Amino acid sequence: MDLPLNSRDALDRFLAGVERPAFKMANFASRNTDEALDLVQEAMFEFVRRYWDRPQEKWKALFYRVLQSRITDWHRRTLVRRRILAWVGRRDEAEEREDPLERLADSASPTPYDQVARQEEMRALEKAIRALPLRQQQAFLLRAWEGMDVGQTAFVMGCSEGSIKTHYSRAIHALRGLLEDSHS
Amino acid sequence: MNANAQEKHLLEKIKDLLDQGMEDLNSLNGQRLENLRINALRAIEEKHLSFFTPWRWILVGGFSMAMIATAVFFLWVSPSPAVLPVSRVDDFEIITSRDHIDFYQNLDFYHWLVTTGNDPVKGKAS
Repeated sequence: MDLPLNSRDALDRFLAGVERPAFKMANFASRNTDEALDLVQEAMFEFVRRYWDRPQEKWKALFYRVLQSRITDWHRRTLVRRRILAWVGRRDEAEEREDPLERLADSASPTPYDQVARQEEMRALEKAIRALPLRQQQAFLLRAWEGMDVGQTAFVMGCSEGSIKTHYSRAIHALRGLLEDSHS
Repeated sequence: MNANAQEKHLLEKIKDLLDQGMEDLNSLNGQRLENLRINALRAIEEKHLSFFTPWRWILVGGFSMAMIATAVFFLWVSPSPAVLPVSRVDDFEIITSRDHIDFYQNLDFYHWLVTTGNDPVKGKAS
């Protein structure tokens, strides 16, 4: 079973379209650039290995399902690691360490003065999204950013539609509060 | 502005900011993401190029073992013939003996020779 050329091109286009939102989602969850890149890499490899021959209209939901599953696994592992480190009395150095890439200036886009306010808003939003519990964060980003409906989001997150509605509603409520606090 | 309109406005603003954040992604991270994508596609192509992957070997080996086991099982449980084609010890000797196999093959001819009176041992009858 060969990988046809048109499938390769379609896969390339698809992955190019989702790689950045996927990275941002992973980065929101992990708060670390390297961890986020690892998560995206694992999701990409698993997706192309298992689902490349599925219909293209299902790729998006399948890719995000793999990614969210990886993020959830990572989150569980991190919680266990933190508990063990807390038990032995050590701090998680990986968590404490600041990501140097966050401080790197972006040479691709200039930063004029009129964008400062927008960057402040962006920082406040990212901080608010990161403050959300993982499931709320996932439900919110998939629904509000990726534009998935409740059914698709439930498939991606592997839970019921009722849970998605609850997570999403709580996320909106929490974000509104957090953003209002940051502006006040 | 009612609650729904406020929520819609908030969501639009958030989506706009997130889209902007994605566009402004650090160029280094953008390059790393592109490399990840290329590596993922390359890995799947290499996987498809190699026909006899370890997993495929396991599948083929397992299938062969299953077929052999099935054949052995059916041979084991199938009933053996009630009457052996060879019942006497003398017949066994004939079957197992490799000597004078031509003699046994030509036995019918010697029978015919005796009945027609051309016995080579006693000489010609006439």
